Amino acid sequence: MGAFKLGKMTISGLFKQPETVQYPVQTKTPPAGLKGHVVNDVSNCILCGICQKRCPCSAIEVSKADRTWSIDRFRCIQCGSCVRECPKSCLTMEPTYAACSTAKHVDVFEVPEQQKSEEVIKTEV
Amino acid sequence: MGKATIIPFGPQHPVLPEPLHLDLVVEDEKVIEAIPQIGFVHRGLEKLVETRDYNQFIYVAERICGICAFGHSYGYAETVERLMGVEVPERGQYLRVIWHELSRIHSHILWLGLAADAFGFESLFMHCWRLRERVLDIFEKTTGGRVIFSVVKVGGVVRDIDAAQMAEIIRVLEGIKQDYKQIMDAFLKDSSVMNRTVGVGYLSFEDATNLSMVGPFARASNVAYDVRSLGIGAYGTLSDFAPITDTQGDCYARMKVRALEVLQSIDIIEEMIARIPAGDIAVPVKGNPADGAEAACVVEQPRGECYYYARGNGTKNLERMRMRTPTSENLAGMVKALEGCDLADVNMIILTIDPCISCTER
Amino acid sequence: MGFATEFTTITLPELPELNRQRKAEGWRFVQLLGVNTEAGVDLIYSFMKDGLLVNSKIEGVTKDQVVPSITDNFLAAFVFENETHDLFGVNFEGIAIDFGGNFYALAQKEPMTIISPEQKAAREKARKIAEAKAAKEKAAKAGDTPAQEQPKAAPAADELEAKLAGMDPEKAAKVRAAMEAKAKKEAARKAEAANDGEGA
Repeated sequence: MGAFKLGKMTISGLFKQPETVQYPVQTKTPPAGLKGHVVNDVSNCILCGICQKRCPCSAIEVSKADRTWSIDRFRCIQCGSCVRECPKSCLTMEPTYAACSTAKHVDVFEVPEQQKSEEVIKTEV
Repeated sequence: MGKATIIPFGPQHPVLPEPLHLDLVVEDEKVIEAIPQIGFVHRGLEKLVETRDYNQFIYVAERICGICAFGHSYGYAETVERLMGVEVPERGQYLRVIWHELSRIHSHILWLGLAADAFGFESLFMHCWRLRERVLDIFEKTTGGRVIFSVVKVGGVVRDIDAAQMAEIIRVLEGIKQDYKQIMDAFLKDSSVMNRTVGVGYLSFEDATNLSMVGPFARASNVAYDVRSLGIGAYGTLSDFAPITDTQGDCYARMKVRALEVLQSIDIIEEMIARIPAGDIAVPVKGNPADGAEAACVVEQPRGECYYYARGNGTKNLERMRMRTPTSENLAGMVKALEGCDLADVNMIILTIDPCISCTER
Repeated sequence: MGFATEFTTITLPELPELNRQRKAEGWRFVQLLGVNTEAGVDLIYSFMKDGLLVNSKIEGVTKDQVVPSITDNFLAAFVFENETHDLFGVNFEGIAIDFGGNFYALAQKEPMTIISPEQKAAREKARKIAEAKAAKEKAAKAGDTPAQEQPKAAPAADELEAKLAGMDPEKAAKVRAAMEAKAKKEAARKAEAANDGEGA
């Protein structure tokens, strides 16, 4: 029984480093295993469409005719099923925090024929 | 004696974290009857099992609740494994228990913070949530997510925790323990906390058993029932496990049971990490659940026993998936505990059953 | 204390007896759930005692049947009885706290009894496959003794039929047409070969 049981912790808080970060100026370093967002290494992608089938929220769309692989970032739930199921291991989870956005958008990756170009052409639809 | 008045309470109310509506029949300052009403956030997640296959549904199961997300994916996977006769490798079972107990720590500390907020002890609330953040950081490092982990799959888990991360977990937990003991002191010994909780919302052992209550709510009324003592999965390998109970049956006892369970969970994690066997973390699962096959399972979530039921129909979709969450079982007990209390204590009593209405309605 | 589950089947008139018996023996009410089936709604009452979880199933409860409430002995069941009434349209009688169909705020009445188009298609497919399989088995049994020297092509064709039954009709028609064309070609080739043989 008694009051001020928290006194010690509260006073010592005055002399400690803050637990929070000043966000826009300082940022937190993401840990290595973070499930940030899915990226496609298009040079290995064979457009098999397994990721599209496995996706629980239909965020991925694979078009063999247009040779594109697109992902709706606002549907994706970062579950990682596509990364685990990919037969060519060309999908990875990049450990970065998602940036803020004011509009919904779909990221389209163009998959080159015959693995000639390594360049990712990213367009916003 | 004044005349009876009905005061509507919720679903939007400053002290309620959940959309629960109560019609409080009040005479003077005493509540003589409380009629609960839920149904504001029914999302039909059980129906979704018809359009998602049994591997995909695990991500739906996780989204039933933001706090016991891991518990739901664990319980769902356990039930589907029973349905299909899959044996999870030992290491996978141990990892599930480690994550599950970490969820319990974070849920209980979150709840303690909310309770402190409910009786107006703001700084205690801040300290609780500061500690909880460290548990979330462990989750972020080991699973890649802070709230929704997507780390369980039917047949095991998808990620392993390596030795370095295990050592880190132990180190962080030791740090939490030091700070937590001071916070626990404030909860259990501070006079301002005791004034608000001792003797409030009393529920006897007889009532608790008659109303089929589960979880810390029941254990505070001396019902020694904890699913973990049934030894499902790796819980069966614990050297000694006894449910934490209290005989008082009031708000203080419920707070005490939860506060002590945090320390118990830390002990369980340390024991699991010390004895975790090497080996596979998952087995491949082939085929579909058989037509008409049924399985049921229970899991001890932070709020109490959660029941899962699954029925297959020979396709990759399940015929029926059912989760019965601890709060729906405890609503009858809450109504009973509210009878005869002061109007000012209503928020404390509702909070001490730790309601999760989104879980209840799914 | 171990954990075990048990599934038993009871009939609707036996429910009040089960209710009394479970109460007298000190079981804990766990839950009540509904499963929508073609014959009606299956109700599963679960009770637990000392780690034994017993699920008692009442099969095919229709909308005009009245289910007696068990809230007289197990008040905790009021949540589930109201829920099953709202989601499945099962009639319960004598619920201690009865919301009269206003427990959940729903856009649609009895949503769990509606079969979604996806599920309907999946069920149809499963049923067709099962039928084709049964037909194949029957044919195999019938054809077992009298004609053992039947060519291997027949079971292969049966298997194909089973597969076709599962596909959507348009695709199946295409495959069938292709198979017919192939068979015709084969026959023509054989006839030609025979003619050649005769000619030589």
